[in-house]
Amino acid sequence: MSKNRITLKLLLFLISTDLLETFTQYCFKKSALAESSLLITNPRDAFIFLKSICFSSFLWLGLGSVFITFIIWSTILSKIDLSVAVPICSFSYILVPLVSIFFLKEQVTLLDWTGILFILIGVIVVSMSTKQQKIIIT
Amino acid sequence: MNVLFILSLIVITSLFDTINQLFLKTSINSLDLNIRSVKNVLSFIFRLITLPKVWIGFIFSALSLCVWLFVLSKADLNYAFSADSMHYIFIALGSRIFLEEKVGLKRWIGTIFIIVGIILITWSNR
Repeated sequence: MSKNRITLKLLLFLISTDLLETFTQYCFKKSALAESSLLITNPRDAFIFLKSICFSSFLWLGLGSVFITFIIWSTILSKIDLSVAVPICSFSYILVPLVSIFFLKEQVTLLDWTGILFILIGVIVVSMSTKQQKIIIT
Repeated sequence: MNVLFILSLIVITSLFDTINQLFLKTSINSLDLNIRSVKNVLSFIFRLITLPKVWIGFIFSALSLCVWLFVLSKADLNYAFSADSMHYIFIALGSRIFLEEKVGLKRWIGTIFIIVGIILITWSNR
């Protein structure tokens, strides 16, 4: 079996890591949001903050999602190179702001999107520089 | 909350995450990877979790999550997530310094793009 052959199954895996990564961040944000009023000025406050977050079901949902992502990601990397996998999985840099707008009512300005575009290009260039590989799509 | 304070916390989570990745990578490098079957994978994982470096990495990973949750309680998710892309820069630097991997021109160019992007979103969220 040749490496870097992107099958439909692999493409679905890649898309699901994007979605799961976005879901993870949404859950973490939700769990942290509940404690956002807490002011942390000393280590004891930090402990109270973490303790109360531990009781949030969103945190555990997020951690479960991290675990599933890790398994899918390992499967992907055993089939294709990191330099091919990372650019396809960078769509979470667009998905997360979209989720922030629609589900968390955050403001994303044009300047934000410009910055995100730069980051996206940067991440793709960085990950593609690991190895020069031909991508074969079947 | 001051955006520079948030940014410095994101630097800390990214650094912790990088330390975890470097420890994990050196641990995996020290084992001979020969994965052919499920049995191989299980024995590989078992040998991996007996290495102290993996556990040091795990502790840093947990610390990184704690700081990350604190960041999210104060900052917008879209800002924090985008700024967290700086771990690509730290991993490039760390691989060069500690793993003696080659970091090519293309990667430095990508790194500059990420830095410009982070400056833009930080400016926008100030």
